[in-house]
Amino acid sequence: MTTSPPRLAGPLEAATAIRPEREAVDPPTAEGHETRDARRISIALDDVSKVYPNGRRALADVDLVVPDGDFVFIVGPSGAGKSTLIKLLIRDELPTSGTVFVAGRDVRRLSRRDVPRLRRSVGIVFQDYKLLPNKSVYDNVAFALEVTGTPGRQIRSAVDRVLSLVGLTAAAGQFPSQLSGGEQQRTAIARALVHEPRVVIADEPTGNLDPLISWEIIQLLLRINELGTTVLMATHNAEVVTALRRRVVALEDGRVVRDEVGGYHREY
Amino acid sequence: MLRFLLFSVRRAWEGFWRNVVMSVAATITMTLMLLMLAGLVIGLSGLDAGLRFVEQKVEVQAFVADGTPQSRIDALVAQVQALPEVSQVDYLDKAQALKQWQEQLRQQGKPDYSSATGTNPIPASILVKLKDPHVYGSVIQTLQAAQGVVTDVLETQHVVDALLSVTGFLRTAGVVVLVLVGLTVVFIVINTIRLAVVARAEEIEIMRLVGASDAFIRWPFIFEGMLVGILGAAITLGILGLAAQPIGQGVATLVGQVPIQFDQSLGRELVIVVGGAGLVLGAGGAFISIRTYLIR
Repeated sequence: MTTSPPRLAGPLEAATAIRPEREAVDPPTAEGHETRDARRISIALDDVSKVYPNGRRALADVDLVVPDGDFVFIVGPSGAGKSTLIKLLIRDELPTSGTVFVAGRDVRRLSRRDVPRLRRSVGIVFQDYKLLPNKSVYDNVAFALEVTGTPGRQIRSAVDRVLSLVGLTAAAGQFPSQLSGGEQQRTAIARALVHEPRVVIADEPTGNLDPLISWEIIQLLLRINELGTTVLMATHNAEVVTALRRRVVALEDGRVVRDEVGGYHREY
Repeated sequence: MLRFLLFSVRRAWEGFWRNVVMSVAATITMTLMLLMLAGLVIGLSGLDAGLRFVEQKVEVQAFVADGTPQSRIDALVAQVQALPEVSQVDYLDKAQALKQWQEQLRQQGKPDYSSATGTNPIPASILVKLKDPHVYGSVIQTLQAAQGVVTDVLETQHVVDALLSVTGFLRTAGVVVLVLVGLTVVFIVINTIRLAVVARAEEIEIMRLVGASDAFIRWPFIFEGMLVGILGAAITLGILGLAAQPIGQGVATLVGQVPIQFDQSLGRELVIVVGGAGLVLGAGGAFISIRTYLIR
């Protein structure tokens, strides 16, 4: 018997599927920011400031351009503005001034109806996973598609695909309480990927994990990045940042104090 | 669309059972309120029927003394006929009056013992219809002036006025009470749904983050409110259905002579009013609840 076995959706299929449709218009390259190549832009912040109603200035004059396919670390002490930056990117908050472009959309100009669409093109992963305890791994991932009105047939194939990508196919029926921290975070990553986003934002994804498991999660994010998705990762994990030698954007008191390829700390 | 409906209804159902105590409390309050509403509708429609019945009846009835010569009666009839307010005058002699009375008894299903006496106790009467049922002019004085002919004058004006004032009072008081109970219902629905929202706070946050539209977040809760309304309406209509017979008899004895018919149209009206009120209050309460909680 030499019939080939049914092919499982593997990373290659995922790679093609993970490229989002490019219906949206990209912003023109902001003046004064030289993009390093002709790639399209995932994220562009131009002169962005955010002052909260209580008067606290969380971000001041932030300029940031992230081309498609980049892997960027956002570092900085607590309260430096990392969380605010992420909230702006998923339009949980609006900038006080300046413009924010994400996946070709001007976040400030989005109508209420278009906010959900923006959020589907941005996958997000948190330190505390934010999984639903009464749903299995499969259902947690499928939930993201159900609540956006995806037809049932498409849900099954999409969930199977991302679960195989994060290596949790065998654990699909388990509940979060039965999983290790690393597996829970991989479930959350699968959920973030299931809408085939253009950008994945990870907010301290390894904050609750031991170093070995942290590296697994980083490897997974790197793999997702290799498959073409832009990854933005906010972290305190100096070891990881220094070892990877990727682009590092350092925030301090709401300002970008460093934006270069390198380690966690400034290198002279 | 179908998927959205299925999703919303399924989650509404889950939500209803997740907090059974609160849902049941809301449903019971809703039922009580709808029962009061139904009571008001039934009472008002009964009184309206009574009012119509009385108004279409003879407006003025003068009882003629037994043994009055026909000539004097004819003279009186001609005199009343000449009045400008009068549209028609009829004379009902003793035999006809008895027949009509027996007819009424039969319609109301009451036993007729009139034949047992062997005599006719019912007086003859003059029936006056007015051009405008509310303008009496000098009709009553004219009839009362006929000493020896007319023993008593019945005018339905008192009855009509009394019915009108009872109907008016019942309507006002009923509406006030209903509004108060309705507010209570809305308040309880708001709290029920608020609890459901809080219980799902985690899910709602995740739904937002993965890009669920507002409709997907909101409608399950509105359906949950509607479920409370529909259940309340169903229980109310069930109770009314079981109690229709006793209620009909109760109203019949209460209003007495007036034959009130609780026909199909009242039943339909009740289903629409009760069902509609349940739905609107349930959905409205839920809408207010998530409006103040979810939107930002």
